[in-house]
Amino acid sequence: MKIGVLALQGAFIEHIKILRELGVEAVEVRLPEDLAGLDGLIIPGGESTTIGKLATMYHLMEPLRDFAAHKAMWGTCAGMIFMAKEIGDGRSNHGQPLLSIMDIVVDRNAFGRQVDSFETDLDVPAINNGAVKPFPAVFIRAPKLVAAKGDTQVLARLADGTAVAAQEGNWLVTSFHPELTGDNRFHKYFLELAKQKTPNDERRTMNSVDN
Amino acid sequence: MASLSVPEFKSADPAPRAKAIVEATTHYNNPEILARVSENLGEPMVGINVSSLPESEQLAVRGW
Repeated sequence: MKIGVLALQGAFIEHIKILRELGVEAVEVRLPEDLAGLDGLIIPGGESTTIGKLATMYHLMEPLRDFAAHKAMWGTCAGMIFMAKEIGDGRSNHGQPLLSIMDIVVDRNAFGRQVDSFETDLDVPAINNGAVKPFPAVFIRAPKLVAAKGDTQVLARLADGTAVAAQEGNWLVTSFHPELTGDNRFHKYFLELAKQKTPNDERRTMNSVDN
Repeated sequence: MASLSVPEFKSADPAPRAKAIVEATTHYNNPEILARVSENLGEPMVGINVSSLPESEQLAVRGW
């Protein structure tokens, strides 16, 4: 198992450390050739516009989309924005480069400024394996999921109903920063998604047949 | 921003220098990219010494 972490800007080293603690080979991704041989990719928190501009400058946008079509991808905070098809806050930030792969609408800086950052316990049945243990979620100038469309499933909500984690095939997004807590359940969950070799496109086709 | 006493903003051509600093930070461990982004940036900030700044230009006094 070899997992990459996009290391253009932001909180990539924290993800790398947790992956290595879990016994996984973890590499920093800065150029298209760094994607070779990876089973999954994490896009970390940071500044989504900066990540998008650097990804464009270093010709990573199409290679990242190609990678996502066949492999697991997880965006935390800024990474969630970068993976979204749509930014739905109505503010003038639509010039920022997005991968536009996951069928979600996000609202940037949805909880306010840096001083409004907070930590809260979340109920996340998907990562619990039957046990009921809340996940400590750290929100830092975090985005919200305004809409989860198509096959996207919401995995966690705040007490007020705001969606903050979702999954579509083997793509995962979280508004918060699981790499900043001592709890590695989300990383383990992502590793399970990365083990599933079925490309997202094929899974969608199979789902539609089942339905 | 032009009044900030930060080196890239007082250099001959601030925008390319600021862009180069961002790229150099990302690719800090890639000598080829570091060399490329360091080319043709013009003059860095020269000739401004904190001890000779007038009080009105000192951030500690005027705020920012």
